[in-house]
Amino acid sequence: MTAVTPTYAVKDYKSDLKPIWCPGCGDFSVLSSLTKAFAELQRAPETCAVVSGIGCSSRIPAYTNVYGFHGVHGRSLTAAAGLKLARPDLTVVVTGGDGDGFSIGGNHFLHACRRNVDMTYIVMDNQVYGMTKGQASPTTAPDWCSSKLTPEGTGISAIQPLQLALACGANFVARGFSGDPNHVAKLIVEAVNHPGFSFLQILSPCVTFRTEQRGWKDVVQKDKIAAATSNVAEALAILAEDDGVATGILYAGKRAPFQPNNKASSDLDRIERKFVA
Amino acid sequence: MNQFDAASFLAHALAFETEAAERYDDLADTMETHNNAEVAELFRRMANFSRMHADAVKGRAAGTELPHFKPWEFQWKDAEGPEVAPVERTHYLMTPYHCLQLALHNERRGRDFYREVSAANTDAEVKRLADQMAEEEQDHVLVLEAWLARTPEPQPDWDQDLDPPTVAD
Amino acid sequence: MATDSVSIALTGSGGAGVMTAGQILLDAAAKAGYYGLMSRSSGPQIRGGEAAALVRISTKPVSSLDDRYDLVVAFDWQNVQRFADELPMNGDSLILTDPAEGEIPGAIAAYGARVAAVPFAEMAKTIPGGRANMIGLGLVAALIGLPVEPIVEVLAAALKKKGEEALKASTAGLNLGAETAKGIAPISQLSAAPTTDVPHWNISGNEGAGLGAVRGGVRFCAAYPITPGTEILEWLAPNLAALGGTLVQAEDEIASITMCLGASFGGVPSITATSGPGLALMIEALGLSVASETPVVVVDVMRGGPSTGIPTKCEQSDLNIAVYGLHGDAPHLVVAPNSIGDCVFTTQWAVHLAEHMQTAAIVLSDQAMGQSRAIIDRPADLAFMARRLTATAVEGEAYQRYKLTANGISPMAIPGTPGCMYTSDGLEHNERGTPSSTASDHQKQMDKRLRKVMQHDYGNHWADIEGEGEIAVITWGSVTSPCVEAVERLTAKGAKIKLISLRLLLPALPEKLHAELAGVSKLLVVEQTHGAQFHKYLRAHYELPETVDVLNRPGPLPIRPQEVETRLAAWM
Repeated sequence: MTAVTPTYAVKDYKSDLKPIWCPGCGDFSVLSSLTKAFAELQRAPETCAVVSGIGCSSRIPAYTNVYGFHGVHGRSLTAAAGLKLARPDLTVVVTGGDGDGFSIGGNHFLHACRRNVDMTYIVMDNQVYGMTKGQASPTTAPDWCSSKLTPEGTGISAIQPLQLALACGANFVARGFSGDPNHVAKLIVEAVNHPGFSFLQILSPCVTFRTEQRGWKDVVQKDKIAAATSNVAEALAILAEDDGVATGILYAGKRAPFQPNNKASSDLDRIERKFVA
Repeated sequence: MNQFDAASFLAHALAFETEAAERYDDLADTMETHNNAEVAELFRRMANFSRMHADAVKGRAAGTELPHFKPWEFQWKDAEGPEVAPVERTHYLMTPYHCLQLALHNERRGRDFYREVSAANTDAEVKRLADQMAEEEQDHVLVLEAWLARTPEPQPDWDQDLDPPTVAD
Repeated sequence: MATDSVSIALTGSGGAGVMTAGQILLDAAAKAGYYGLMSRSSGPQIRGGEAAALVRISTKPVSSLDDRYDLVVAFDWQNVQRFADELPMNGDSLILTDPAEGEIPGAIAAYGARVAAVPFAEMAKTIPGGRANMIGLGLVAALIGLPVEPIVEVLAAALKKKGEEALKASTAGLNLGAETAKGIAPISQLSAAPTTDVPHWNISGNEGAGLGAVRGGVRFCAAYPITPGTEILEWLAPNLAALGGTLVQAEDEIASITMCLGASFGGVPSITATSGPGLALMIEALGLSVASETPVVVVDVMRGGPSTGIPTKCEQSDLNIAVYGLHGDAPHLVVAPNSIGDCVFTTQWAVHLAEHMQTAAIVLSDQAMGQSRAIIDRPADLAFMARRLTATAVEGEAYQRYKLTANGISPMAIPGTPGCMYTSDGLEHNERGTPSSTASDHQKQMDKRLRKVMQHDYGNHWADIEGEGEIAVITWGSVTSPCVEAVERLTAKGAKIKLISLRLLLPALPEKLHAELAGVSKLLVVEQTHGAQFHKYLRAHYELPETVDVLNRPGPLPIRPQEVETRLAAWM
C-alpha cells in the first residue's frame, strides 16, 4: 500500500464510447476489471493495445482509451501475435468470446498457447453466440436445446478450454467470474505480469440468451482452483475434478516467451552482393 | 473483518462511494443506450448523490494521506464495495421501482458496512467515524424507503418485450 | 554458325544430377559474361524422380524459354516422356542419348531431331569418382562454345567442402566430355559474350520478390509454405533477421496474413507470400486491410488452378480472384512483375504503394518467374520506400483516424504515440473510427477508400510500353517475355507493332491505356489462362480497338515466342 498518486487513473483507460451490451451483461464487469488492471499496472495508455475479433465481447477495444484492433472473426490471436512480435515494447491484451476463440479461432488458440508470445488472452465465456442471437458455442453443454440452429442440442461434448490451454503449452492459465470484478482485475494483473501466453477464461453471463446464467453467482467458488502450480500434470489432475465454475490461478509456468530479438547484423549492400553472378 | 486504522477506513469509504457513483453513471449510460429514459434519469441522480457522499468523505479525510489499496485488497463482504450496484441486478426494461430497490439495497449495505466496522474495531476514532457515517447512511435508507413506498410497483409483465432480439454484427 | 541464344535441356532421373549440372552451366555462363535463364521440370517424387533442367544462354537478357531446344542431353529415359511437350525440337536440334538406356521415347523422337549416341554411364566408369552429369556438362560446353574455365571456377567453389578428389574427378569428367564433342556434328555456337559495366546478378524471381520487399522497407513476415512461393519466405527468413526484422512461421495462411496485419498496425511494413489456394484463404483478411486501412503486401506466385491444380506449373489464372475476390466494394492494389528481374522492382513498388495508400497490395508473380533463375543486369536502386503518413497528437483536437481528406489518405497513429489512441476497425465507421451504419458515413468512407487509390500518380510504372504501330500486343506477367521476342522478330522484318505489358492491374487506369491505344486498330491479347480472364478484365475496364484477337491457353506449357509471332503474322 503506497500513498503515491498514480500518473494514470482508471478513467484514463476508458473511452467516452458507451457500450451497447445488454444491461446485466458480464462484459461490463470485465471492462471495468481491465481498466482497473491497467491502472494498477500503470502502463501508459499509448503503450497498451487491445486486440479483438467479432462478437459482443470483441467490442471492448473501442470502449478503452488504448490502441485497439477490431479484426475479423476468430483471428484476434494471430493479429495480436504479429503486433507483439513486431512491437515487443507494447502491452498486448486480446479479448473475445467463446465462439470467436474456440470455434473459428480454435486452431489459432492451439498455436497461440504453443507459440507462447508474451500477451494476455481474456475469453469472456458465456457458452453461447450472443451477437448472432443465441447459437451453441464450443463450450455449450451438448443438451442445451434453446438454439434454433440445434433445437435438439448439439449432441457434441463441450471443449474444456483450461485443459486445452495446458495441453498446448500456455504459460499461465486461470479462470475468473465477471461477478467478482476485483478478483478478475487481480487475475489480469497477474496474467499481464507473467511472461508468455496467459489465458484467462472469465465466466461472463449472457442475460439475453442464457438467462439461467444469472444463477452462476450462486455456484461459483472463488479461488477453488488456485493451485498456481508450475507443474502441468498437477494442474491437469486438479482439472480432472473441476466443475467448470471454480476460479483462481490454476497454472503459472516457466516457459520462456517466444520473442525473436533480431539485431541488424548486416545491410542491404552485403545481402545484395550474394546475387553477383 | 480486520481492524482498520482511520486512514484505511476512510480509504475504504471513499473507494466505495466513488465507485458507486461511477457505477451509477455507467448504468445511467446503458439505460440511455437502451432507451429507458426514466430509469437513466434515476441512476443519474443516484450517481450525483454518491458523488456528494464521496465529497463528504473527502472532507472528513482532509489532511490525512490515504493509503492506496489494489482493487482486490479491499475488505468487502460482497465481491464489490457495499454501495456499488451489481451489474447483474439490472435489466433494460427495469422500472423505477427496481432502480430504487437496487439503490435501497446498496444504501442498506453501506449502512451495514459502517455498523460492522464500528462493531469490529477497537480504535475509538474509527468507531466514532463509522458510527457517524452509519447514521448518515440510515438517513439515506429512510429516504429511499419512503421514495420506494410512493413508487408504483412493476406490472407482472414488466419484462415482456414483444420484439425478439436483433443482431448488431 | 554463331547465334545469340542456345537452349539446352538436361534430362534424367533419380540421382543423375541434372539440376546441379544445369545450375552449374548457368552459373558458368554468367561468369563468362552471358545472360541466361534456367527453369526446371520434375516428376512428383520428392527424390529420384524424372527431372529436366531447361537452360537458355544468351548474349541479351532473356526471361523466358525459346521456341525449341538446340540440344537435349538425356542421361536416361525413365519417365522422361512426361516432359515430351516441354522439349520442342526440330530437325536442327540434337539429342545426345546413352545407348545403354534404350530407345528414345516416341513422343520425343517425333520431333525429328538429330541423334548422337554418347555412352555417359560407361565413360563415367573410366574416371575414379566420375559422374555422368559432369561429362555431359563438358560436352555441352564444348558444343555451344562456352569456355571450360568458368565451369571449373564454379565447380571449385561448389565442391570446396567435398575436397580435392571431388574437384579432380569432376574436372576430369568435364574434360572427357569436351573431348567427346569433337566427334559430334556441330550445333549453333554462342556469339561472343557482351562486355558490360553493369554488374550481372544470378537471381530467381522468388528471391527477387524477397529482395524487393526488404528494399522497400519490409521488416516483418509471417510465413506459411506453399509451392511455388515458399522460396520467397525461405529467402526472407535469414535476410530479414540479418536486417533486424522478424519472420515467423504461422500455422496457416489465415494466420500469416492476420499476423502481418497486426505487425502493420504496429507500424512495421509487412509481407507474406503464397500461391492461389493460400490467397483464397487470405481474402477475408485482405478485406480487413482495405476497410481498416492497414497496409499489407501479399505475393501470389501463381500456379495451375483451380483448387490444388498443378502446383509446380505456371498459369495466370489468379487474376480474377486478385482483382475481384474481395467481398464488398474493396478498392485495393494489384501489380504484376513481368520478368524475373522485374520481381525486384514490382515488389518494392508494391510495398511503397501499400504503405503510402494504407491498403492491401497483391503482387501477382508466377511459377515460371518465381522458380526460374536468370542472369540479369543489377536492378537499379530506386527511391520507392515505405513511407507511411503517421499522426501525432494535436493540442485541442480529437484524433480522427479515418479523417476525410482530399486525397483520401488519413494520418495513421502508430501505437506508442501518445494522445492519438484509436481502434482500427473492419466495421464501417465514421471519421473517428466509431462503428457506424449510416448511409452518410458509408458513402463518405467508400468514396475515400476509392479516391485513395484512384488519385495516386503511378507515374510510368503502370505499364511497360515498346514500339509504335496500328497493331498492338497487350499482355502481363511472365507472358511478356515471349511477346517481347515475337515482336522483336517481326520488327526486325520491318513490322510496326506496339507492345503493352500492364504492371498495374488494379486500379484500372482507362485514360492512360486509351492514350496508348489511340491509333491502334488491331489488338492481340495474350495470356496463360483457360478462361481468358485478362481479356474479360480488359473488356470490363477499357475501351478496346475494333479488332481484338485473343491468344489464351492454360498452363502447364509456356507460351512460346513462335506462337505469338504466328498470330501477329496473320495480320500482316
